[in-house]
Amino acid sequence: MLGVYIHIPFCQQKCAYCAFASFVTDEKERERYIKKLIFDINNFHLLYPQKRYRKIDTIYIGGGTPSLLSIKQLEKIIQAVKENFNLAEDYEFTIECNPNSIDEEKLKFYKQCGINRLSIGVQSLDDDQLKFAGRLHNGDCAMKAIEMAGKYFDNISCDVLIGLLGMNKDKYIMQIEKLISNGVKHISAYMLQIEKGTLIEKIVKEKRVTLPLDEDCIEVYDRTAKFLAENAFYQYEVSNFAINGYESKHNLKYWTGEEYVGFGLSAHSYLGGKRISCADRLDLYYKDEGEFSEELSNKELIEEHIMLGLRCKIGINKNYLLEKGYDITKNSYLQDFIEKEIIITQKDDNILKLNPQYYGVNNFIITSLLPK
Amino acid sequence: MERLKKVRNFCIVAHIDHGKSTLADRLIEKTGTLEKRDMQEQLLDSMDLEREKGITIKLTPTRMNYSFEGEDYILNLIDTPGHVDFTYEVSRSLAACEGAILIVDASQGVEAQTLANAYLAIDNNLEILPVINKIDLPSARPEEVKKEIEDVVGVPAMHAPCISAKDGTNIDDVLQMIVKEFPCPKGDDNKPLKCLIFDSYYDNFKGAICLIRVFDGEVRVGDKIKMMQTGKIYDVTEVGVFVPFAKSTEVLSSGDVGYLACSIKTISDVAVGDTVTSAINPTAQPLSGYKKVQPVVFCGIFPVDGAKYNELKESLEKLKLNDASLEFQPEVSQALGYGFRCGFLGLLHLEIITERLEREFNLDIITTAPSVFYHVYKTDGDMLELSNPSSLPSAVEIEYIEEPIVKASIFAPPQYVGAIMELCQEKRGIYKDLSYIDENRVKISYVLPLGEIIYDFFDSLKSRTKGYASFDYEIAGYERSELVKVDILLNGERCDALSIIVHKDKAYTRGRALTEKLKKIIPRQLFEVPIQAAIGGKIIARETISAMRKDVLAKCYGGDITRKRKLLEKQKEGKKRMRKIGSVEIPSEAFMSILKLDGEE
Repeated sequence: MLGVYIHIPFCQQKCAYCAFASFVTDEKERERYIKKLIFDINNFHLLYPQKRYRKIDTIYIGGGTPSLLSIKQLEKIIQAVKENFNLAEDYEFTIECNPNSIDEEKLKFYKQCGINRLSIGVQSLDDDQLKFAGRLHNGDCAMKAIEMAGKYFDNISCDVLIGLLGMNKDKYIMQIEKLISNGVKHISAYMLQIEKGTLIEKIVKEKRVTLPLDEDCIEVYDRTAKFLAENAFYQYEVSNFAINGYESKHNLKYWTGEEYVGFGLSAHSYLGGKRISCADRLDLYYKDEGEFSEELSNKELIEEHIMLGLRCKIGINKNYLLEKGYDITKNSYLQDFIEKEIIITQKDDNILKLNPQYYGVNNFIITSLLPK
Repeated sequence: MERLKKVRNFCIVAHIDHGKSTLADRLIEKTGTLEKRDMQEQLLDSMDLEREKGITIKLTPTRMNYSFEGEDYILNLIDTPGHVDFTYEVSRSLAACEGAILIVDASQGVEAQTLANAYLAIDNNLEILPVINKIDLPSARPEEVKKEIEDVVGVPAMHAPCISAKDGTNIDDVLQMIVKEFPCPKGDDNKPLKCLIFDSYYDNFKGAICLIRVFDGEVRVGDKIKMMQTGKIYDVTEVGVFVPFAKSTEVLSSGDVGYLACSIKTISDVAVGDTVTSAINPTAQPLSGYKKVQPVVFCGIFPVDGAKYNELKESLEKLKLNDASLEFQPEVSQALGYGFRCGFLGLLHLEIITERLEREFNLDIITTAPSVFYHVYKTDGDMLELSNPSSLPSAVEIEYIEEPIVKASIFAPPQYVGAIMELCQEKRGIYKDLSYIDENRVKISYVLPLGEIIYDFFDSLKSRTKGYASFDYEIAGYERSELVKVDILLNGERCDALSIIVHKDKAYTRGRALTEKLKKIIPRQLFEVPIQAAIGGKIIARETISAMRKDVLAKCYGGDITRKRKLLEKQKEGKKRMRKIGSVEIPSEAFMSILKLDGEE
C-alpha cells in the first residue's frame, strides 16, 4: 500500500552535522510553504488517478523540525491528507519532533488527530555532545520530553548519533539503557557522517577537533546492537532496532521497493517504477521547477534490491534478481561470502541475508555482490 | 652519376639534450622547407610523449633543398634518438646515411652517448662532422670542447662549426659543411632495385608504410616489389618523400630517402632491416641490414579488465609496427590472467610503451616488475632461458644461475666519484677503471649486473650527482651469480605476479621493503591479511593488514536511495581496478610498486 511522506523544512537552528533541506525561517515563509504543500496534496490524484493510490497505510511527517508547526498549521496539513487519501485501519502515522519543541498541548493534539508514533531527535544525552552537534536541548530536556510523550504514546522512537565529539564507549551504552528503560520501543542509531557544506565538515577540515576513531565508532555500534538484542530489540535494518511489532512500517517501504509519495521540499516519491524528487531549493519548489525524475531500469532495480536488501533483516531474493536478469549465484564473491558466513542463506537458498556482524562493512559487501 | 652528386644523406647524433632536435628544426627553417609560421617547436618530435619528455624516440626523415655556390642540393636528414635505450634505432638510421653530425654541448662537452654514438657512426663508416652547440650559454667553452672531441672521440674538430641552434647562430656553416664534408651517395639507377627498410609506421588508410633508403635502382607506383627476408610480393601504391610531411612523388631513385606504401595489411610483414627489391628483376644479394638488437628488460603487461585482452594484443601489434625492438608473447598469470610478456630495450623504452598504451590506446594496464633474462642451469643438465620469476624451477632443480652483465661508462665531474662508486658498489658493481678526460671530468668504468641497473639506477645516479653524470652501457655477456626467487604470499597464497629474482644478499631487504610497501598499498579487507615474503618455504618478512572495520553506515531513506545507488556504482567501478588473489583484493598499482622500492630502502 502507498505511504505518504510530508517534509517540513523548518528549524529553530541548523544542526552542525545536518545537510538536509532545512533552514531557519519566519512565520510568513512557513505559511507560504504550507499553502503550497496543501496545494500539492490536493493535486496529487489529478496527476495519479490510479485507484491504488487512494488508500494509504503510513504517514510520516519529517523534517527539519515538524514539531515547530503550530497546532493550526498541522491541522490543515493533516486535514488535506485525510481529504485526499483513505487511511487503512491498521495505519502508522509518525511525526518527528525535537525534545525542546514539544509540550503537553501539542502531544495531546497529535494524539487527537491520529498520530500514533513519535520519532524524537534525542541524538545524545550528554550535554557537551549535544552542544557540539548544535542541538538546542540538553540531556535532561530530552528525558523529560520522553517521559511526557510516554503519557500519550506507546510507540516512541529515538534517534541517537554515534561518533559525536567526546563519545565515551561505556557511557554510550548507559544512555541507550536509560532510553529503553523509559519506554522507548525503537532506536535509530546513526553513525555521524561528515557531509559536505556542514559546520562539522568545516571544523574537522580546519583540524579544530578530532572526532572519535572509526574503530571506536564501530565498537560502540556493535555494543549497542548487542545490548539492544539482549533487551528484546531486534535489528531490522543496519541502523534500526525495535521491539517486535514496533518497526517503522513507513521506513520499511523505502527498503522493500514499495510505493510512496513525498510532498514538500526535496521530498521523494516512488510511483509506478519512477523515482521523483521535488526541488531542494524553495524558490524552485514554489515554481514547480527543479524536479528530478528517473525511471528505474532493470539494472537499477537489481542494484537497489541488493543495496537495500543487504541493509535489512529481510535480505535479498535470488528469484527476484533472476527475474530482473541477474543470476547472483554466478557472482565471484558470493560463494566465498557464504562459506565465511558473511552471507546467510535461507528458504531453500532463495533468500540471502547479510550477517549482522558485518553490517559495519556493508558497503564493501554490497559493491562486491552487484552485477559487473 | 651527376644527380647523386647533389644528394647528401646524413643523420644527427648526440648525447641526450645536446640539441639534436633543435638543430634539425633550424636546418628545416633555414632551407625554407617550412615557413617559420608553420614551425612547431621541435618539429620532428611528433609524438606528444617525445615533446613532453624532451626526447626523440622515433626516426624521422626530412628532405630539404639547399643552394650552395649556384648548385641545388637535396639534403636528407634523419633525426635519431639520443637516449641510451635507443642506441639500436640510431644504428638503423646510420645504415641509411653517408654522414653524421655529432653535436656536442659547448658547456657539457663529451658525454657518455656522445662517445657511444660517435663510435657507432665510425663503425658504420660514416663521415663525422662535429658541431659545437649552445655557444650562447655563459658557461660555453667551445675551444676546450673541440680539444676534448679530438682527444676522447678521436676525430678532427678544430674546424667544427660553433653554433647556437636555439638562437639560429651559424646554421649556414653547418649546411655548407654538410655539402662540403659529407660524401654523396653511391648507387646505380640501372641496377636492380635494392633498398633498406630502416623504419616503418602504420597509416590507417595506406597500411604499413616503409621508410626506405634506395641504394640501387628505382621504384615507382605500380612496380612489383619483393621483401627479401619475408619473401612477400606487393604492388607499390605510393612512393614519396618527407618535406617533412609525407608528399608523394613519381619515383624514388638510388641515393634517395623516402617512403613506400604497398597496402601491407599485416603488421608482421614489414621487417625493419629487410631489403626491398624488384619482384621481376631482383637483386642477387640483399643488404647486410644490421644486427637485430635483443630486448634486455622484460615485464608482464596485463589488461586491468580481462575482457580487453584482444584490444591489448592489437595495440601492441600496432606499436610494434613503429617499434621493431618491442617484443611480446602471450603469458598467463594465476593472479592477473591473460596478458603478454614484453621485451624492451631499457626502462625508458618500457615506460614509453606503457604510457603509449594508456594514452594513445586508452587501455588500463597492469605492469609487473621489470626483469632481465636469466640462464638457469638445471641439475639434469638442461639450460633454461627465462625472464619471468614465476617460471623459475624449484631450488633443488637448479645447479646455478647466470645473469646478464653490462660494461658501464659513467662520465661525471671528479667531485662525484665517491658518490658514483658508492652507488655502483651498492648495485653489486665491479670497479674496472677511472680516467680523467680533462680536469673537470672523469670516466668511470664498472661491470654491473643488468638486473641491478634496471631498478632505478638512472634516478639514483642523477640524484647523487645533481644531474651531472651521464651513463652508457653495453651488454657484456653472462656471469654466474647467487640468485634466489623471493615470493610474496597474500593470506598464505603465493601471488605469482609479485615474485622477484634477486641476489641472495639482497633478498632479505627487498622482501621486507616489498611487504612494507604492499601493506601501504593494499586496502583493508574483511579479514586480517598477512603479507609474507618467502624464499622457498622460508618466510623472511611479514606484515599484517588489519581487518576493515567500517565502510560507511549512512542513512538510507527515500531521498538517499538514488544518491546512494550512484555512489555504489562508482565504488563498483573502482573495484574493477582491483585484482582478486584468493580472497584478497589488490589494486593494480601494487604490481608496479616493486619498481620504486630501492629509493625507500
